[in-house]
Amino acid sequence: MIWKIFLFLLLCFVSVAGISFPIVDNPQAWYEFPFIKGLEENAKIIFFHVPTAWLTVIAFFMTAIYSFKYLRKKNLDDDAKSYAAAQLGIIFCILATVTGAVWAKFAWGSFWSWDPRQTSIFALLLIYGAWFALRSSIESEEKRATLSSVYAIIAFVTVPFFIFILPRIMTGLHPGSADDTNAGPVIDFKMNSNMQLIFFLSLIGFTILYFWMWRLGYKSLIYRDKLNKQLLLRG
Amino acid sequence: MEFLEKNAIYIVMIIVLIVWVGVFLYLWNLDKRIKNIEKEIGEKK
Amino acid sequence: MSKSYSLFKKDLHSELRTRYAINSLAMFIIVTLSVILFSIGNETISQSLTGGLFWVVIFFTSMSGLSRVFVSEEERGTSLTLQLIAAPSTVFSGKLLFNLILVFAMNTVIAILYSALFEAFIIKNFGLFIVSFILGNIGLAFASTIIAAIISKAGAKGTLYPVLSFPILLPLILTSVQLTLFSIDGTSFETAQFELAIVVCYDVIILTVSYLLFDFIWKE
Repeated sequence: MIWKIFLFLLLCFVSVAGISFPIVDNPQAWYEFPFIKGLEENAKIIFFHVPTAWLTVIAFFMTAIYSFKYLRKKNLDDDAKSYAAAQLGIIFCILATVTGAVWAKFAWGSFWSWDPRQTSIFALLLIYGAWFALRSSIESEEKRATLSSVYAIIAFVTVPFFIFILPRIMTGLHPGSADDTNAGPVIDFKMNSNMQLIFFLSLIGFTILYFWMWRLGYKSLIYRDKLNKQLLLRG
Repeated sequence: MEFLEKNAIYIVMIIVLIVWVGVFLYLWNLDKRIKNIEKEIGEKK
Repeated sequence: MSKSYSLFKKDLHSELRTRYAINSLAMFIIVTLSVILFSIGNETISQSLTGGLFWVVIFFTSMSGLSRVFVSEEERGTSLTLQLIAAPSTVFSGKLLFNLILVFAMNTVIAILYSALFEAFIIKNFGLFIVSFILGNIGLAFASTIIAAIISKAGAKGTLYPVLSFPILLPLILTSVQLTLFSIDGTSFETAQFELAIVVCYDVIILTVSYLLFDFIWKE
């Protein structure tokens, strides 16, 4: 109960601080953000865009973990958990793609430029899409759970390749990428300490939010299945 | 009003806050409803 | 091992009798190549574009025919019999061998036709091209076989196959396009080391995961 109120206040604080704190050349007071060359006012997106991308990855990871668990124990609850994680994953994936694209329009001049990060989030979007397409094509519950678990694991093993390949093929524009001179690794040193603090608070807040939503998602799925089975037994 | 017109970022902030309050209330309600169903099924986790 | 070889021979015989996969693959090669040629018309295309188009042809051709190995068993209703007489890994090895041969035959035809039809497709470092071509084909065969096993158990088989394969094959295709570009530019093996290592890792990982997971798919 208390953690929900804590989460509410935390994200309220993050959105007030993240949006309204001014960006100045020489931050003195605790509520001032530093001026980062090449990013300027656009830098504020870090409090909202990065957590969505982070949650996309977390959700993908959890889908794979619960798929693995399902294959070992054959417990349909695990399938519901991985399904709920993937549902949230695709929502946050779309949010990260859209917020990133809007930001890119103002920072790089075009909505889409096949930057390594953009390409990898696009690949994740494709995987989620394919995963849901596979699930919707199978009627039987157990079959659907097994096949989608197998596919999730195969997809999970191939994704790390993107991290190695893409930077070799295309040049990075994204803040924090290797050969990016004008707006170096933002997370490391261009943010001052209060900006970092709010960034990590935002990450924590969004992660708690994700776990809350995930729990609601899988519980509703599991109870629906249970009620369906009870109705079937009675009827 | 004039202050808000000059600093449009505060309008953005207010809208974000309203959206967040809406999402939070929705989740809160959902949580309560699922807990009720949990009780009805008679399962304690 | 001998069992999977005899399974492979059975597949080969039934394929040579009906020529279902071979015919559709051959037609697909002709169709995609001619569409590209029509759309280019009299214009000359750059060398780097030919490297990418080469893998486009390969991807779409494989999507048309490689799912046959498992789908045909499901359609004929013979998968249950196969489950009784052979272990899952044996079945998978047999099917993998068949797809490997099919991919190599198909891609060799594509490579020959392609280099004959596109004048800009000149390879300077032939050794690198052969190595990357072989490694890429192996990866393609591995990944497409396990995806074929998945969709053979699902509904909407035809449309689902490219949808499911594309994200899985994307790292392989991106790297292979890069390697083909390297061999067109005449880059040395040392520079391409990293990409070659990536493709080898991809092949090994996909093969391991396929063998581990095939049991679950096959028993469904």
